[in-house]
Amino acid sequence: MNALLPEALPRRDFLKGAGALMIGFSLAGALYPGAASALEIGPYGPPENQIDSWIAIGEDGHATLFTGCCELGTGSSTGLMQIMAEELDLPFDRVRLFGPDTDRTPDQFVSSGSRTISAHSRPIRQAAAEARAALVDLAAQRLAVPAEQLVTADGVVSARGNAAKHISYAELVGGREFNLTVTGKVKPKAPKDYKLVGQSQPRWDIPGKVFATFTYMQDVKVDGMLHGRVLRPPSHGASVMSIDENSVAHIPGLVKVVRVGDLVGIVCRREEQAIAAAQALKITWSDWAGLPDMKDLHATLRNLPEFSAGYPKQSPGGVLAKSGDVAAGLGKAAKTVKATYLSPYHHHGSIGPSCAVADVRADGVTLWCGTQTPYGMREAAAKFLGLPNEKVHLIYTEASGCYGQNGADDVSIDAIVLSRAVGKPVRVQWSRADENGWEAYKAARISECSGGLDADGKIIAWDARTFGLSGYSRPEYHEPKHGGEPGSLVTAQLAGWTKPGLEEGFSGAAGNFEPVYEDLPNKRVVFTYLGPASHRQGPLRIRVGSMRGVGSPDNIFVAECFMDELAAAAGEDAIAFRLKHSPRPRGVAVLKAAAEKAKWETRPSHSKPSDGDIALGRGVAMLGSNTDTNVAGIFEVAVNRKTGMVHVQRVTIAQDCGLVVNPNAVRNQIEGGVIQSISRALKEEVTFDRSRVTSLDWASYPILTFNEIPDAIDIVLVDRSDLPPMRVGEPASESVWPGVANAVYDAIGVRLRQLPLTPQRVLAGLAGGA
Amino acid sequence: MATTTTLRVNGKSVTATVDDPSTPLLYVLRNDAGLHGPRFGCGLGQCGSCTVHVNGAPVRSCMRPLSSIGARDEIVTLEGLGTSEKPHKLQAAFVEEQAVQCGYCINGMIMQAAALLKKNPKPSVPQIKAALQNNLCRCGTHMRIVRAVRRASEA
Repeated sequence: MNALLPEALPRRDFLKGAGALMIGFSLAGALYPGAASALEIGPYGPPENQIDSWIAIGEDGHATLFTGCCELGTGSSTGLMQIMAEELDLPFDRVRLFGPDTDRTPDQFVSSGSRTISAHSRPIRQAAAEARAALVDLAAQRLAVPAEQLVTADGVVSARGNAAKHISYAELVGGREFNLTVTGKVKPKAPKDYKLVGQSQPRWDIPGKVFATFTYMQDVKVDGMLHGRVLRPPSHGASVMSIDENSVAHIPGLVKVVRVGDLVGIVCRREEQAIAAAQALKITWSDWAGLPDMKDLHATLRNLPEFSAGYPKQSPGGVLAKSGDVAAGLGKAAKTVKATYLSPYHHHGSIGPSCAVADVRADGVTLWCGTQTPYGMREAAAKFLGLPNEKVHLIYTEASGCYGQNGADDVSIDAIVLSRAVGKPVRVQWSRADENGWEAYKAARISECSGGLDADGKIIAWDARTFGLSGYSRPEYHEPKHGGEPGSLVTAQLAGWTKPGLEEGFSGAAGNFEPVYEDLPNKRVVFTYLGPASHRQGPLRIRVGSMRGVGSPDNIFVAECFMDELAAAAGEDAIAFRLKHSPRPRGVAVLKAAAEKAKWETRPSHSKPSDGDIALGRGVAMLGSNTDTNVAGIFEVAVNRKTGMVHVQRVTIAQDCGLVVNPNAVRNQIEGGVIQSISRALKEEVTFDRSRVTSLDWASYPILTFNEIPDAIDIVLVDRSDLPPMRVGEPASESVWPGVANAVYDAIGVRLRQLPLTPQRVLAGLAGGA
Repeated sequence: MATTTTLRVNGKSVTATVDDPSTPLLYVLRNDAGLHGPRFGCGLGQCGSCTVHVNGAPVRSCMRPLSSIGARDEIVTLEGLGTSEKPHKLQAAFVEEQAVQCGYCINGMIMQAAALLKKNPKPSVPQIKAALQNNLCRCGTHMRIVRAVRRASEA
């Protein structure tokens, strides 16, 4: 029997004109799991090789996309929906989104590294192309017209030249499954035939966010839900000595004080009661003061031993690139330059602190959370509770903006611990101080460079070394599927989970440290890996994790500032000098496009100093590779010599990210990445004393405000629709730190090599103290 | 000692019973009135994501004690400002400009800007920036937010 014949397809109740519940869905999503289906849902979801795992056509002819990719506030889900609609020849308003949900959506690993469109859209595009081909085959039988003579448009298959012969997708398969394996043999559309991909389709989620009908993680409510708060140790290494439960006996609505190891929480009936109880609860903690003095941070990093007990699958750091003989190159250089670059820890700074709801019952667990890795987090939760994966149902729910590993996974363990203790669903909302105090920060760095120029002003030696920590990763797993370790999470560590988490390894931390220039003889690029660090374990007990680009922003800061220093030492224009050292062809294209748009004046840096209190300058930075996005950024700054304030006035970004699926969404991401990175370049620095992080609110960790934003951000998207889509969320943001620092040098003639570029550092530099 | 309070929210009556009259308005709006507009961001009045209007003035609901709200005070949240059927011109402009990334701060941006436009219907760009100076956005949507407020002021 042909599985394509409609009568052979099993009915699925949930496909009855699924309607409006998709867009802005909240708990309505629970209708999907458990509905009768031929799909086998395994410990990692439905099989990736089935069309039905990805796509369902409802009785109303709408197509639903089932994705394991987490929408993190970037608009990437709109892009995935465009890609599916394009291949299916459906208008955008007839596609919907569902997931991630471990009862129904395929496993798409971790939504990070700007990979949702660039990598994770591929199986969706293929499944949609094969679904369309299947619909055409079905229509060929029903209409008695050869498939080659059929065309698809707006959800209808019709005979070419005979529009009277037609049948809709709904009539063909509406409400039924395809029951087809993805063969890989159907060719998706060629980009020249795209109608929807490449258009600035408005994002599906924005109206709900503007009219307050959208349900964020922080808005999730379930029947019988109680409210929890957590009480973190006052120092990173402290343990509970005693808890005085009488101190909260007077709080109305108190349900329970919960302690598992050093994870302490409180559960109340109402939210404000939980806040009051968390403030009132008296806990005696042990003393701990194992952090270095903050002023010695970089010296401490520099002196840490190289990590040797690396995760078996990853090299524990080392030489990233090597050519020629660096010592010989430096030895015969006409001119040498040395520089040391420093950067601090950064907070993610999501505006909404992390939140999760857990319902731990004897027969199974439901977890609502804003993770980036649904199946990894589900497995971590299951291991933590001693359950098989299938007993935990994780429903991804978009939270406040996610720029990497914020507290979304950690708070899930808090919610699980509190729900298990009271036998009811519990919502845990972290405070601002919980988030800032216990998230996984962007790591601080120290990097050392030596370089040499020959008599013609060309680089003949490049020696760069950086000393970096990494994090325990999110609870994601590595291929073949295993992992999902709770030990990656600081909350599990607090609760006494002793098996170590998966170490993130140095690969993310080492990204883009190798310069983009092909013509660099006598080159050595070394990443000295210092190992993973958490508040509760590691060589320096400040927790480190992934944040927008992981190590790349630091690495590019070092490489592109040092390139600028060599250009200045050669007395050459910063762009001409870069071009002389052969950035790859796509790099040349973005560099030239940015220079043209910004009306770059060719001259050496700091050859045109301004008079008066305000010094103007411009700087450039670039990044990319043959297989990745290429970016060149030009930054124009005004430096106030009296106050030391730096204002980035105008930014020009030229970006080649291959095929652009949604130009306006891409521009939104570039603008956002630029502004966030200017904030990090100029203002941001996690502070700590000997026992804990102390930048626990927005007063102690100021970020860029409206009065400080650039006057303009000009964006040139270089048309390379002949190439596959490449990463968008991170690359442009990574040009900012070096571009701004180079512009400050052009303005005032002082090299500032330590981030952030605060007024104090600018003034010290002007006074000769940098 | 539990007390029951009745509030006027978006033109409707909302009743809440709280133990402590200093309970911030935010929790009553979110948990008793079931609203999603006002958002918890810092609980310290520093970020602006909890902003609502009380008698037309922008108020940080995370810092505003319930006891300070009278029965005749009119509270308006993002839900009450406009709907998809009858959008406020700022809501329409934010959609037009796609002036959202994660959107968590957008409640505060729109409520703060709505209060500005009421007092100053044609603000300059510096005036818009000054009005939003104490509202934080982490995604970096600032350029679009300013454009959206300008668009609304020209509508």
